[in-house]
Amino acid sequence: MDSASWEALAFYAVAILVAGSALGCVLATNIVRMAMCLLGTLGGVALLYFLLTATFLGVIQLIVYAGGTLILIVFGIMLTSRSVGERLRPRPGEALAATVIFLALLVGLVALLHTGTWASGNNEGTLSVARIGQELLTTWLVPFELASVLLLAVMIGAAYLVQPLGRAPREPGGPRSTEGDS
Amino acid sequence: MAACLSPVGAVRVGTGVQKFAFPIFLILLLASIALAWAPALLWPNKPLLVRDVLAVVGVVAFVSLFAMFAIWWERKVAARIQSRLGPMRVGGWHGWAQSLADGLKLFQKEDIFLAGADRPLYRLAAYIAFVPALCLFLALPFSTAWIARDLDVGLIFILALLGLGVLGVLLAGWASNNKWSIYGAMREACQMISYEIPLGFALLVPILTAGTLRLTAIGDLQDAGFPSWLAFHNPFLLIAAVLFFVATLASCKRAPFDLPEAESELVAGYHTEYSGFRWALFFFAEYAEMFAAGALAAILFFGAWHSPLPAEWGRTWRSGPLWQQALHGVLFSGPLWLIGKGLFFVYVQMWLRWTLPRIRLDQVMYACVQVMLPLAMLNLLAHAVWQWLVPADSLLAQIANGVCTAIGAVTIVAILATIAYGLFHRRRLVGTLVVDHRPGA
Amino acid sequence: MTDIDPQITGETMPAPGVAPGTLHTEDLLVNMGPQHPSTHGVLRLLLRTDGELVVEATPHIGYLHRCAEKIGENVTPVQFVPMTDRLDYLAAMNNNHGYSLAVEKLCGIEVPERARYIRVIMCELNRIASHLVSFGSYGLDMGAFTPFLYAFREREYIVDLFEATCGARLTYNYLTIGGAAADLPAGFLDRLAWFLDYFEPKIDEYNRLLSYNYIFVKRTAGVGVISAADAIAYGLTGPCLRGSGVRWDLRRCVPYEIYDRFEFDIPIGVPGGTDDIPPEVVVGDSWSRYYVRMLEMKQSVRILRQCLRQIPDGEYRAKVPRVLKLPAGEVYLEVEGARGQLGFLVVGDNGPIPRRVKVRGPSFCNLSIIPHVCRRVLLADVAAILGSIDVVMGEVDR
Repeated sequence: MDSASWEALAFYAVAILVAGSALGCVLATNIVRMAMCLLGTLGGVALLYFLLTATFLGVIQLIVYAGGTLILIVFGIMLTSRSVGERLRPRPGEALAATVIFLALLVGLVALLHTGTWASGNNEGTLSVARIGQELLTTWLVPFELASVLLLAVMIGAAYLVQPLGRAPREPGGPRSTEGDS
Repeated sequence: MAACLSPVGAVRVGTGVQKFAFPIFLILLLASIALAWAPALLWPNKPLLVRDVLAVVGVVAFVSLFAMFAIWWERKVAARIQSRLGPMRVGGWHGWAQSLADGLKLFQKEDIFLAGADRPLYRLAAYIAFVPALCLFLALPFSTAWIARDLDVGLIFILALLGLGVLGVLLAGWASNNKWSIYGAMREACQMISYEIPLGFALLVPILTAGTLRLTAIGDLQDAGFPSWLAFHNPFLLIAAVLFFVATLASCKRAPFDLPEAESELVAGYHTEYSGFRWALFFFAEYAEMFAAGALAAILFFGAWHSPLPAEWGRTWRSGPLWQQALHGVLFSGPLWLIGKGLFFVYVQMWLRWTLPRIRLDQVMYACVQVMLPLAMLNLLAHAVWQWLVPADSLLAQIANGVCTAIGAVTIVAILATIAYGLFHRRRLVGTLVVDHRPGA
Repeated sequence: MTDIDPQITGETMPAPGVAPGTLHTEDLLVNMGPQHPSTHGVLRLLLRTDGELVVEATPHIGYLHRCAEKIGENVTPVQFVPMTDRLDYLAAMNNNHGYSLAVEKLCGIEVPERARYIRVIMCELNRIASHLVSFGSYGLDMGAFTPFLYAFREREYIVDLFEATCGARLTYNYLTIGGAAADLPAGFLDRLAWFLDYFEPKIDEYNRLLSYNYIFVKRTAGVGVISAADAIAYGLTGPCLRGSGVRWDLRRCVPYEIYDRFEFDIPIGVPGGTDDIPPEVVVGDSWSRYYVRMLEMKQSVRILRQCLRQIPDGEYRAKVPRVLKLPAGEVYLEVEGARGQLGFLVVGDNGPIPRRVKVRGPSFCNLSIIPHVCRRVLLADVAAILGSIDVVMGEVDR
């Protein structure tokens, strides 16, 4: 087999991983399994980027999504869920609506793929990191700065949200001290 | 009543086959490393797939062997620091086969079925912790030619994979179906991800100097001998080196930052419910990350795979006969130097673990956010300003280089001298427990 | 001695600067179960935590109760001495000593001079051994693995001395009614002199290794501050009381045996910044209690050297009748054990077997301050406080 078919094989394998994980994320009932399927999806997208030789983008995908956003989601899950075996089941109406929307989007995307003309961009090969950095700070400076300001606002907001606010002091009552054998 | 406690007399060197067990093992070890890595010499001629498979095999072999060695070594280092001997019996010479025995023992343990926990997630957590630690060796260069895949973005690839290990910790805590495991895992994960920020800032400093993320390029910058090592260019790089080392200590949850592991003595920690081989996977991942951190520190700051001698002096040997090339590898630049430097940093990490107490978690977070982060940011800023204003070969740069080289040389020589002193006077430091207290004596 | 403040202050330590928020959180119960990874013994601490803060701490004891006092009502005093070994098993000689003194006072037995010196030597050596274990396990609690092994290395020398004398390493049954059960073996005093010369510089080495270590100071200074008034009110004794600045030691204030013949200091907790005390230290915090033990080891060495110079030849035990009749009456006598004031009440009723034996275990009273001091501390500080109070459950549960 030549390298093109190896590439196709690899693409289909990763695509199955991504689609399968996404499906698992939607269909799973255990919330942490959902998060792990999301990990599969995000990791699979990073692998797709590597396949397209956009290594920088793939690594950033891993750092930001798998190593940042997903961890945030998992923290949120673990801090707020009641028990390990909690099951989330959608109501029947929700499942029907979701399926209808999904089918509509699928049909629309497939139609778009077939009718639109897709020009391949300037094929300069692998974009070097230095070039990316230069482009960010010259051509795309304003979006870069806007994104930085947005992140700064988010951080300030987060710091503000965890400020301790006044609350009535708790009495030393509460759960009886005898129930300690958990 | 004559209890004579002599620690050394109780061990007897084996007879017959046992006496040769260690040399045989050493030969097999070197042979396996050579077989896994020798194809590197033929790489340009082999098809890509074969080359990649060989690289993966070599990486897995190296990580496994290193983890086994590191476990034994940690026990010996801990023992010597604590005035005892460590493993002495398994295999004959200083218990070198202790890791093998431990591995066999862990392997044959029963696979526990946790009631109420999520079995697939329980298994997955161990794998998620272990696989990134393995994968990052794919981008870690042992020398300019000895690298599995010389990625353009090698440095942040390694950074990304170090960050993925956090998910393994979180999932392991969750899958244990134990409220306290979850909280312990969250605290630990919190510490790990917080310290990735000063880590990133410390990493940016040599990137600014080198102008590239490619690890082989950064390594090749430092081939002009000891003063050219990146840590000694200017004081900001030296500070960045120290910051990087401390941040990796916290990111790898090594002492003194291992309170979440110790709090697991009082409250359950993330790996309480793991036993047998799954626990060994967490352990392996930790040692692999330790070596990766040490190797990364060496590549970025301390001369990568080059010796303190300038590579200029041995340039002719590079294309000579095989024995000259080997000599060049030993004297000037070669994978042995990188492994040696990585081992040195691993040794320092072990040394710190057995000497320092643990830092409390709120103090850890305080140190990260209120001390290391501002320091790292200011350091980056100062280094950027320095790089902008001070030309590379001006007098100021050379003075800074000289001063930092002197500081670095004194520190390294002092550490090596301390280690040598401990090695040669170990009997005096361990002490003899021979007590003769028979009546009348 | 300081006056007891009639107004017992409520809070001994300021709450850390974390105020509750408006998020609904639940209190969680943490069980520091009877099994501990470090040598605290079988103590169960029930902690109620609000996030990271411990709101309430309740010790549950009794896991090591062995009816020692009840046994005392059924055996003769000489038979009870081995039982006293098992109370504070880390400083067993002191227990033997206290009980023997109580019985001797009740029966009016005069102990010969050499026996008294032997007793002081054994008690002080055991005090050093006990403080070594406390030092080692406190380091272990704080995550410093190495001092534990150094402490036990030194302890080996002491325990070898004990083994040569009475054959046992932990529970000696040696300082019995009337003196000591056997004389010191030949060469003991030379060996002891060698050990003192070897050991005294080690205390400074351990101070450099652990006591002044920045991380250790950060973990223990200012943590679990017990004011002097609180310490006295809760009945703390020993290094816990002296760490709060109260200069009270039975060996100096109510001298028993021959302690009035020796010159030694009573170390107490001092504020940070003086001498080589780290500046973060507050009088009555965990670091002070720990450091008092280190200094006490030095003072014990000092006492031992004076014993070596002064010990006479002679009898090692008074002539005690085979069946010792305890006259009617009661004696309550306290000695300074390694952990505090160890008291023995012996009530005799004209027979060989006492009517009642009661033991005042210092750790029992020291432990009572845990609920008071572990309010609004971080979870990791509970280990620091418990280690600095240094309980031995044998004394608590008896």
